[in-house]
Amino acid sequence: MSRQAHPISVAIVEDEASVRVGLRRLCEALGLRPSVYASGPEFIESLALGGGLPDCLLLDAHMPQMTGLELHLHLVGRGVRLPTLIYTADDGPEAEARYRACGVCEYLHKPICGDRLLEAITRAVPSATAGVPAEGL
Amino acid sequence: MTAQHPREAAVADAGLVPLAPGLLLFTPAILLGNYLGAVLRYPEIGAAVLFPPYAILTAALIATARRDWIWYILVGSIAHFIAHWPQWSVSWVLLADVANISRALTAAVLLQWAFGGPPRLDSVRALALFVLSAVLVAPAVGASLGAADVVLHGGATTYWDPWRGWFMSNALTGLTLLPALVLTVAGMPSLWYQRIERRRILEGILLTVGLALTCAIALLWRGRHPWHIALPLYSPLPVLIWAALRFGPAGASLALTFVAFGAIGAADRGTGPFVATATDANVILLQVFLLLTTLPVLCIAAVNSGRHKVVQLYHALLASLQDHVAILDARGIVLEANDSWRRFAETAEVELFHRVGVGDDYLEACRAAADQGDETAARALAGVQRVLRRESRRFEMEYDQGQDGKRERYALSLETLARPDGGAVVTRANVTARRQALMQIEEQRRELSHLARVAVLGQLSGALAHELNQPLTAISSNAEAARRLLRREPANLQELDEILGDIASEDQRAAQVIRRLRALLKRGDTHLQPMDIRELVSEVFELAHAELITRRVTATALVSPDLPSVLGDRVQLQQVLLNLIINACEAMTSTAAADRRLTLIANVDARNNVHVSVRDSGTGIPAALLERLFEPFVTTKSEGLGLGLSISRTIVAAHGGRLWAENNADRGATVHCLLVSSPEVALEPPGPGSTHLPSFQH
Repeated sequence: MSRQAHPISVAIVEDEASVRVGLRRLCEALGLRPSVYASGPEFIESLALGGGLPDCLLLDAHMPQMTGLELHLHLVGRGVRLPTLIYTADDGPEAEARYRACGVCEYLHKPICGDRLLEAITRAVPSATAGVPAEGL
Repeated sequence: MTAQHPREAAVADAGLVPLAPGLLLFTPAILLGNYLGAVLRYPEIGAAVLFPPYAILTAALIATARRDWIWYILVGSIAHFIAHWPQWSVSWVLLADVANISRALTAAVLLQWAFGGPPRLDSVRALALFVLSAVLVAPAVGASLGAADVVLHGGATTYWDPWRGWFMSNALTGLTLLPALVLTVAGMPSLWYQRIERRRILEGILLTVGLALTCAIALLWRGRHPWHIALPLYSPLPVLIWAALRFGPAGASLALTFVAFGAIGAADRGTGPFVATATDANVILLQVFLLLTTLPVLCIAAVNSGRHKVVQLYHALLASLQDHVAILDARGIVLEANDSWRRFAETAEVELFHRVGVGDDYLEACRAAADQGDETAARALAGVQRVLRRESRRFEMEYDQGQDGKRERYALSLETLARPDGGAVVTRANVTARRQALMQIEEQRRELSHLARVAVLGQLSGALAHELNQPLTAISSNAEAARRLLRREPANLQELDEILGDIASEDQRAAQVIRRLRALLKRGDTHLQPMDIRELVSEVFELAHAELITRRVTATALVSPDLPSVLGDRVQLQQVLLNLIINACEAMTSTAAADRRLTLIANVDARNNVHVSVRDSGTGIPAALLERLFEPFVTTKSEGLGLGLSISRTIVAAHGGRLWAENNADRGATVHCLLVSSPEVALEPPGPGSTHLPSFQH
């Protein structure tokens, strides 16, 4: 499978360590290539330090310094358009509509089911090499 | 002298008697008075033995409004003219009238000023004030003018003789007729609703007959016998004292007037003891006798009336008490018991040691019952002994009494009698209803507190879902990862081991969240235990963690490392802190996200109490609400019942602490919570020692 040769890289931004580790393991088991960050600023910093762009973003909606949506909007503001998935526990349907209006591809509920995650990521990232080069970051 | 009381001044202003009925009564009285005055007049001294118009006019002035006085003075003057003119020259009558008016005005004004209204003769002091005003000063004023009148019209050669005559006659009037009239007039408003017993009327008639008889013996007896001097002088005295003791100052004064008229009549007829050679000597003798008799009799009447009022008040007070009250002397003998006590002591349901009445030994009754194994009596006995020995001022206990079907709760209290002879007052009250009400209030308070707690958790529901979802998400991600790892060959056993370890610990974490929630949601009784505030704060912060994140609030806890432990109920104190944190968050809704700061500071104050403050950077509290913020249903929020802070204050107060709020100097507000540190028991495991913790109900 082509995915085996070019696994989709996923950047996970999650403030809670246990969830971060669990999601990393799940992504690995799903054959994805995860990289993990504890906060939005940490991810932005990694990009500034020359880290390559992942194929997609998997963001926690609620984080102390910067929410998932704020990180997404920040990146969009800088011209970085990555397929973005946001997951949350408690936001209602109106939140989903808002997220989608802001260009978020997928909206997932916690706890995250592996098949559903894989399905959402493959839908969000049409080809393994998809991605938009960074501009002005 | 008594300063005028505003209410009494108002009475003096309005008057006890309206003008029309006042004049209707006054006119015949003053005409009769002037007629009597003329009859009783002795030409030799230019004055009457007794001068009724003085008493009548003064009584009228005291009883009426000052704006009406002019009418009474006018009518009085006309009556005076009718009685004396044209026998006497107009100028004489005029000046005499001026003297009469001045005397009555002086007496009325002085009496009103001294008594702040109608005079009461119920103490020696009151009597002294009355004598000074109406018997000394006012007659002296009248006599000074009257004597001048007599001298001016050539009625006397010396000023002193007519002065003495005028003075004596009016002083005597002031002591005999005036008190009777003034007290009758002052008592008039209450006469309408006072029921006069038939026995009193009968006693009054008997008294009058006795007075008439003794006066007859004293004054009309013509015979000569060995007790000639003593008998006539003293025979009316017992009857006068009877009048003084049973009918008060008014009755005594009336009786004295009766004797005075009798004595004058006798002197006129030339019988009785007052028959001297010269008429004026006769009159003086008579006047001195009457003055000397009047004073002690009025004194007795005044003292007894004062005492009678106090005793009446005391009995009325005792009788009006719903509680059962008995007064003990220093040995424990019942001196007095009110009706409630007596009625209850006769009933079957009363405990043995309370079947005592006046004259019984209460202490002995307690002891006898205690000896028979009555524990309530034993407790009461110990308390009664302590109070009677003055080892303590007060003793209180509660006990249940009655058959199984109908048990009532009683409160027994003893208070030392503040008097040299000692003794105590026993009060027994049925407090069943009060206790039930208290228990109901307690139950409702617990219910409300629980509801408030549930409401707090309701506010946190979103955040709490997040809190539970975190471990669940971690568990499910790990589990799915493990399942997929297991399908691979060869399975990475080490990683699987790590994953399973993480799943187990995340499960524990979820269970912990549920445990805490359950504790807060449960309706529990109060469990007091020494608590570490540091632990409490960290638990509360964990509960509020997700809420703080959602609300974008940067929260800091600064807990001093050397905090003493606090005796308290964990759940209730968590509720308070959680409430304060949520309130702080809500106060910062309109604050820019970057400026939303919440700081919890916990430290020790000078008295070793724990001071926890929750500071926010929100809108602050409107000054008008700062004091009322802790009242129920007062809130600064558009939503919410306003019960959180009120219940929090109740909880903290029940912990012996204090909860208050203030606005910060820069922005936002700080709510302070002072908690009493638990003495000595600091963080020792709660064991049998915890039974003597301070009583605390919530």
